[in-house]
Amino acid sequence: MEAKYDFEKKFREQILQCSRCGFCQAVCPVYGSTLRPALNARGKMLLLKEVMDGKIDLGEDLIESLFQCTTCASCAANCPSGVNVPEIIKQARKDMVHIGSCHPAFVGMNDVLQKSTNIYAEDELPDFGRKRDKKAAFVYFVGCVGSYREDESTEETLDLMDRLAVDYTLISEVCCSGVLEDVGYNLNPKLARENLDRMFSTGAGAVITGCPYCFRTFTHRKEYDELKEKGIKVLHISQFLKDFDFGVKTGKKVTYHDPCDLGRHCGIYEEPRATIKKIASDFVEMQHHHADSLCCGAGGGVRGAFAKNSLSMARRRLKEAEEVGAEILLTECNSCVHNLVNAKLRKQNIKIYNTTAFINELVNKIDKV
Amino acid sequence: MDDQLKAALIEIAGADNYSEGLIDLVSYSYDASQHSARPSCAVWPQTAEQVSRIMALANRLLVPVIPRGAGTGLSGMAVPVKGGIILDLSRMNKILKISIEDRLAIVEPGVVYANLEKALGPYGFFFPPDPASGKVSTLGGNVATNAGGVKGAKYGTTRDYVLALQVVLPDGRIMRTGSRAMKSVSGYDLTRLFVGSEGTLGVVTEITLKINPKPTATSTALATFSNLEDAGRAVSRIMYSGIIPSVLEILGKETILAINKNTDLNLPEVDAMLLAETDGYTKEETDYQMAKIIEVFSSNKALEITQARSEQEAVNLWKARKSAYAVLARIKTHFVLEDVTVPMGKVADLLKGIEAISRKHGIQIATFGHAGDGNLHPQILYDGYNPVDVEKMEAASADLFSLAISLNGTLTGEHGIGISKAPFMSLEHDPVAMDVMRSIKRLLDPRNILNPGKMALDTKDETGETPTHAPANA
Ligand SMILES: Cc1cc2nc3c(=O)[nH]c(=O)nc-3n(C[C@H](O)[C@H](O)[C@H](O)COP(=O)(O)OP(=O)(O)OC[C@H]3O[C@@H](n4cnc5c(N)ncnc54)[C@H](O)[C@@H]3O)c2cc1C
Ligand code: SF4
Ligand code: SF4
Repeated sequence: MEAKYDFEKKFREQILQCSRCGFCQAVCPVYGSTLRPALNARGKMLLLKEVMDGKIDLGEDLIESLFQCTTCASCAANCPSGVNVPEIIKQARKDMVHIGSCHPAFVGMNDVLQKSTNIYAEDELPDFGRKRDKKAAFVYFVGCVGSYREDESTEETLDLMDRLAVDYTLISEVCCSGVLEDVGYNLNPKLARENLDRMFSTGAGAVITGCPYCFRTFTHRKEYDELKEKGIKVLHISQFLKDFDFGVKTGKKVTYHDPCDLGRHCGIYEEPRATIKKIASDFVEMQHHHADSLCCGAGGGVRGAFAKNSLSMARRRLKEAEEVGAEILLTECNSCVHNLVNAKLRKQNIKIYNTTAFINELVNKIDKV
Repeated sequence: MDDQLKAALIEIAGADNYSEGLIDLVSYSYDASQHSARPSCAVWPQTAEQVSRIMALANRLLVPVIPRGAGTGLSGMAVPVKGGIILDLSRMNKILKISIEDRLAIVEPGVVYANLEKALGPYGFFFPPDPASGKVSTLGGNVATNAGGVKGAKYGTTRDYVLALQVVLPDGRIMRTGSRAMKSVSGYDLTRLFVGSEGTLGVVTEITLKINPKPTATSTALATFSNLEDAGRAVSRIMYSGIIPSVLEILGKETILAINKNTDLNLPEVDAMLLAETDGYTKEETDYQMAKIIEVFSSNKALEITQARSEQEAVNLWKARKSAYAVLARIKTHFVLEDVTVPMGKVADLLKGIEAISRKHGIQIATFGHAGDGNLHPQILYDGYNPVDVEKMEAASADLFSLAISLNGTLTGEHGIGISKAPFMSLEHDPVAMDVMRSIKRLLDPRNILNPGKMALDTKDETGETPTHAPANA
């Protein structure tokens, strides 16, 4: 029988390969904060298996499970049967969109990115008091969350780069639109074109991204292949900064949260730690770190569509930071910072920063003395 | 789902702890076995009191109830073959007490094995059974299946550590069994009756476990053998040596070949490998024990013996054993992981018999397992969408069970009877034993509402029928 949906055409073998061992349950952040097995990777694979077996229909009833996945890839990293759940989920979401069964928040995101230049449908891109689209050695690409929600953190990052006398420019950037791939739609090639043209016109030899997701999009999506073809390097800010000396130190107890997009998806674990260890004498790992890191709950469109569970995932992560007695939680992703800060309870004293912002704050303190 | 039952369940557990949503019904139709069947609804109780009320209600309305932990069972034990209510205990997940002076831990049934391990770590204690599914499976599930693991030979299984239980009976009455004291000969051993009962006699709502101090030193060695007899004899001879290794694992040839094909471990392609670990509190002590084991390996024609000189080397020696399951899980779309167990002196016979069965049915069976307690895991690999393959798999399973019984062994050392092995119960247990088991089931669950359809216990209930409850969405 001809497969009805693309997810089946592409992933039938893998879905059948799921042995239902349930090992993903130990690591799935959605399960961890709901204790509802229908929401973990096994639950999702079983739904798709039953669709393939003709026992149930792909449709509205499945939205709550299939659209509630942060695409953190913890399941895939721990699956003995080698099932790449996030890729399968992304395809199934596209099939659902195709038949008109999609979470309204995801439809909204696509609508916005067809009309607007950013995921928040904001009219004006902040310039952080800097001239954009100059000729420079580096382009600094901020990303939507850093531009419109965590702009203070971005300001600090840019200040730090100025102090380090980096020859960079901001561009009139638009959303990389990679996120659309995760929520059932496709990356918007028009937006990609705009970004590429603006990057090229600066003459820069490398693009530095503040956002791990933009980094992943620029390095992994074919729509951005021209960067590689033109020999333009893409670096995440944590890679770029690892060789600098900042001349500051903190005695506070510091821990680091690996963003899923930087860690499990791109394999960048050590550069952020190298920098942190330079500036923090008391560094501790949380229970889950590196490839085992626990997702903050923001990804895969979950923050928008299932806000309550998204926050409770972030709370679980904060709890781990508290358990090791950390006073400062550093990460390398505006989206993680945003969700973790939102989830923080007033009584929790821990402070959450992007590493760059934290370093800049330390430098500022010295300057004031 | 009928409205009266639904309203009552919501009243008992709260709307957030009840579901009849399709996604939950599909997810609760399966465990880690090849079986599936749709329940009518799912409830997540939070207290023993709620469990008691749910059981009383279900008993009155004749609705099956299926207790469930993490659903990692490999025999269909938590699959609702007769429909009914899934009672997911994973939200009862508090560690109630750790008492080092009394050497015990008291937990709710939904606590995941690994979480207890984490909590005991700082005290230098552990709960030894260590099932390979420990990161996910629940202590309630471990008790209900009498779970074991690689350390079974030295430390026994879950059964050896359960001191006391709180159990809700099928009619809703709450009962306490056992005692917090290390020793008790007071009355029948009701605790043991419930350990391994696969959720057919009562719902475990609190568990008191004996805990052990955790050995701090280990020695590890790996030996290869060019034929099975030598490896088998080595296992028997270790028993004579006076040393009980904390681990004694075996990998058969088919498994070694599969590992080589799918990893870059480059193992020697021998007939069998034995991995041994000794544990204790000083390196001298564990090395002394290991020296004795290595002596046995050499005098039984081991080809090559490697002893780890560092922790990293030990990790390397474990790699082959640790990769076995994941490698075998990827070869075909389906597999069954059996757990036939024989007296240790018969391990070589079992391995040879498995090879013969594999040849006879023309189906791939790769074997690894716990030689130290005679518990092997022949993993039968097949394509579940090919009826010929399925038939072969079933025939090979049946032969495996007969083989194990003929070697004075048992159908299952760890994974339980559930649905998969129910048809073979009478192969192992005589009619009198079957009658006693069924009588116990009838005594505690006369209306056959608790996890019905499992373990070949289903005789007619008092109304002359096995109760079933048609799933609403089926
Ligand atoms: C990859 C893999 C490796 C495994 N390795 C091992 C191993 O090394 N050793 C081993 O012994 N097993 C092993 N198993 C099997 C399985 O993990 C164990 O049987 C485990 O104890 C089941 O626990 P669970 O919480 O998943 O229970 P479930 O599968 O949810 O339930 C199992 C049975 O227990 C009953 N039950 C669950 N909770 C309760 C309760 N509170 N009260 C009454 N009845 C209850 C259920 O009704 C069912 O009959 C493995 C499984 C997999 C998939
Ligand atoms: S870990 Fe992999 S094989 Fe196991 S249940 Fe999850 S997705 Fe399936
Ligand atoms: S990708 Fe993350 S959130 Fe999604 S199913 Fe896997 S573990 Fe769960």
